[in-house]
Amino acid sequence: MKARYLIWIRRASQAFFLMLFLFLLIESRLPQDVFVEYSLALSSAQELSIKWPVRFFFQLDPLVWFSSLLSGYHFIRGFWWAIGVLVVTLLLGRIFCGFICPLGTIHHVISWVKPTLRGEQMVRANQKSPGQKIKYFLLITVLVGSLIGVNFAGLMDPISMLFRSVALSIIPGLGTGVRGVFEWMASSNIKTLNLLAYGEVLLSPVFGYTYEVFKTAWFIGLILLVILFLNRVRPRFWCRFLCPLGALLGIFSRFTILTLVKDEEKCTGCNACTKSCQGAASPIPGKEWQNAECVMCFNCFDSCPEDALSFKFRRSSPLSHKSPDMGRRAVLSGILAGISLPLIGRLGGHPYKVSHPRLIRPPGSLVEKEFLTLCQRCGLCMKVCPTNVINPTLTEAGMAGFWTPHLVMTQGYCEYTCTLCGDVCPTGAIAEFSVKDKIERPIKIGSAYIERGRCLPWSGNGPCIVCEEHCPTSPKAIYFRKGFVAGPDGKEQPVQLPYVDLKTCVGCGICEYKCPVKGLPAIRVISAGESRSMENQILL
Amino acid sequence: MKKFITRRTAIKRLFKISGAVAFSALPDWPVHGPGQVWAQTPGTGFIVEGLGKTEGYSLKELIKKTFDTAGGIARFVSRGDVVVIKPNISWARRPELAATTNPEVLEAVIELCYESGAKKVRIADHTIHDARRCFAITGVGSVAKKTDADLVSPRSSLMRKMKIHGHRLDIWPVFVPLVEADKLINLPIAKDHGLSTLTLGIKNWIGGVGGRRYALHQDIHQTIVDLAQFFKPTVTLIDATRIMVTNGPSGGSLSDVAQRNTLILSDDQVAADAAAARLFGVNPEKLGFIKLGEKWGLGTSDLLKLNRKKVAI
Repeated sequence: MKARYLIWIRRASQAFFLMLFLFLLIESRLPQDVFVEYSLALSSAQELSIKWPVRFFFQLDPLVWFSSLLSGYHFIRGFWWAIGVLVVTLLLGRIFCGFICPLGTIHHVISWVKPTLRGEQMVRANQKSPGQKIKYFLLITVLVGSLIGVNFAGLMDPISMLFRSVALSIIPGLGTGVRGVFEWMASSNIKTLNLLAYGEVLLSPVFGYTYEVFKTAWFIGLILLVILFLNRVRPRFWCRFLCPLGALLGIFSRFTILTLVKDEEKCTGCNACTKSCQGAASPIPGKEWQNAECVMCFNCFDSCPEDALSFKFRRSSPLSHKSPDMGRRAVLSGILAGISLPLIGRLGGHPYKVSHPRLIRPPGSLVEKEFLTLCQRCGLCMKVCPTNVINPTLTEAGMAGFWTPHLVMTQGYCEYTCTLCGDVCPTGAIAEFSVKDKIERPIKIGSAYIERGRCLPWSGNGPCIVCEEHCPTSPKAIYFRKGFVAGPDGKEQPVQLPYVDLKTCVGCGICEYKCPVKGLPAIRVISAGESRSMENQILL
Repeated sequence: MKKFITRRTAIKRLFKISGAVAFSALPDWPVHGPGQVWAQTPGTGFIVEGLGKTEGYSLKELIKKTFDTAGGIARFVSRGDVVVIKPNISWARRPELAATTNPEVLEAVIELCYESGAKKVRIADHTIHDARRCFAITGVGSVAKKTDADLVSPRSSLMRKMKIHGHRLDIWPVFVPLVEADKLINLPIAKDHGLSTLTLGIKNWIGGVGGRRYALHQDIHQTIVDLAQFFKPTVTLIDATRIMVTNGPSGGSLSDVAQRNTLILSDDQVAADAAAARLFGVNPEKLGFIKLGEKWGLGTSDLLKLNRKKVAI
C-alpha cells in the first residue's frame, strides 16, 4: 500500500477513536430525557440505565484486564475486547498506540502540530535512549503490585488517566466558566441576555445540569498538563518513556508479522525518517528497528524521499525480531517496587486496622481489600453519579486507595433508587446491583448520627424537620419524639426531636446534604454499618 | 494591502454597538419589579369537588367535568396563553406511592389547556431529588413527551432573586418560569407531612423557589403563606386521587397510600387546602398555614362563603 494512504487511514482512525472516546465520556451521565415508557412508569419494573456502552475503552484496554486478573482473579465484563487487542498486537505490533489510544492521539497531535525541536535537534531527540526502559519498569511495578494485592494500574493506565483528567478536571473546569457566563446573563437586567441564557440547556449535556465539581480535581488536571507539556521535551514523551500499557503492548509486539523493511542501498542517510519517528524506534537503515518501541504511526515510511522504507507482512521466525530492551535493572527494580508499593500503601493501617470514618464507598462496592484489587480510579462512577456525591479520595483510603471513589455527603447524596455506579464500573470493584437489591437487602453504605449540640431542635434553636422529611426509607430511619427543650430565653418549649434508627438507616446521606447546618452538618454519615464489611458494624 | 482598524475606530464601533444594544433593551427595563398585592377580597371565589364514585371511572372525564362545573377551562386559559403547571414531583418515586402528582391527572390538565388554545404548556418544579430521576420515575417525563408540553429543568441560572413582599420573606430566589407564565396552575398532591401536618396546595410553593429552602422549615407556616401570596396561581387543582396518609412527605410504601378518588378545584388557595384537609380527617382550623392564610387575607377556610359545587361520576 502507498504510504500516503496508510497515513490517512491512521489519521482517520485516530480521529474516530478520539471522538468516540469523548462521546462516550460525555454520554457517561444520566441523560435529561430518560423518559421511561409511560406504561413502565406506572409499574415497579423500571431501572434507569445508560444506553451507550460507556465502558468500551476500558474493555479494550489489556492493562485493565490484566491487572484485574492478577490482583482480583477476576475476568472483567467484556474482556475479550482486550484479548482482541492483544491478538492484533501479536500480529501487527503496537497498532493500538498509533491508531486507537485517545491519549496517544492527543500526544501525537501536540508533538506534530508544534514541534519545539528543529532539524538536527529533533534527529538527536529521536534517537533511542535508555530512558525508554522506564515504562517497562512501571509496567512491572504495576503488575507485581497487582499480584501482591493492590491495583495501581489505573494511576498510570492511559485510558483511566485520560478519562479521569477530562471527566473530573477539564470538563468541570470549563463548566464553572460556562456557568459563570450564563448566570451573569440570566441575572442581568437586559431582557435579550435573559433570553439568551436559556441557551444553557444546549450545553448542559456536556457540562451537566448541576455543574459537577470534584475534590482534588486541580491536582488531576495539573498532572495532565505536565504530561502534555512534556511533549515539548520529546515527541510523545508519555508514550515513549512512561506508558505502562505501551510497554505491555511492546512486549506482545515481539512476534509481529508487519515489519519495517529497510533498503540500505536506496538510503541517502538524510535522517528524515528519524526526524519524524515519534516512538524513537530507530527506523533509519543501518540500525536495527526497535519493533517494541514503534507505535506504528507510519511517519517514517511516509517521510522517506527515496522510498527506502516500507512496511511488509513477513512470516519470519520470531527470534529474528528484537525482544524489547527492558534491561535487567528495570526488571529487578520493577519487581522490588511492585512488592514494596502495596506494603507501603498499607503502612497507614488501612484497610486492616482502622478505616477512615468518612471513607464511604459507593453502594455495591466490594469489601475494602477486594475493592483495592480491582478499582482502576478511572472516575467513571464519579462522572456518572447524578448527584455528584462520588469524589476521588486524597488520604481517606490511605496511600493504596489514592483517588479511589468515596462519597462526600456535603456535596451530594446517594439517590435511593439509583444504580448507575454499579452499572458502569468497568472492573466490578463496584458490583452490579439492582434497585430491588439496594432497597430490599438493603445495601447500606454507612449510618447517620445526630450531633445534638449543632441540631436546631436539640439545641433549643427552633423547629426543623429537614432530615426526617428527606429520609427515603420506609418506614423512615429518622423519626421524632416529642420533647421539651429550653430555648435561648430559658423557657421550655415543646419540639419534635429527631432520632436515627440504625436498623433502617442505609447511610444515603440526603439528611447530611440537606441539613441547614452547612459545612459540618448536625447530622452526618459515617461508614460504620456498611453492609460490605463484616467488621465495620455497629449492631449485633 | 490589508486594512487595519485603528484603535480609535474600534472604540467608536464598540460604543455604537453597546449603545444600540442598551437602547434596544430599554423598553423592557423592569421599572416596577414583580408586583405586590396583599388584598384579594376573600369569599368571592368558587370551589368544586370532583369525586370518582364508580369502579373504573375515567379520570379524564372527571377532570373535565370538574373544570366544566367551575365554568369550563376557558375561564382560566385563553387562546395564546403560556400556561405553567406546578405539580409536586419532588421525589423520585413511582406514581402509585402517592409521593408525587398523579401523571394521569397532569396529562388530562395539559390536554384541557391545549384544547382551550394555550400556546404552550410548561411543567415546572424545583425538585428535591435529582430532577432527571424525578422526571423519569414519576411518569411526568413521559407525560410531557406525550402531550408536547415543555419540561423545565430546574437549574441555578433559572433561580432569580425577587421581592416576595411577605411577612417573613423579603427577598428570595424564585424559579423564574413560574413568574413568567401567563397562567399558573397549581397541581399538588395531598400528602401527610412531618412538620406542617399536611402538604397540599400552599405548601407546594416550596418547590417554586431556590436558595436556602431548608431554612424555610424554621417558620414553615408563615413562609409558605408568603410564597402562596407571591405566586398567586390562576387556579389550584389538588390531586387527591391517591393520598399519602402517613410517613410523609416521601413515603415509599404502598401501605402509606389511601384511595380517595377526589379532585379539588378552587381559585381560593386556602379553601382548596381546607377542603383537602378534611379528606385526612384533619380539622383545617388546626393547621397553621390555613390559619395564617386566613389572617393575612389569602383566602378563606369557610367553604360556605364560596360558590361551592360538587360533581361525581
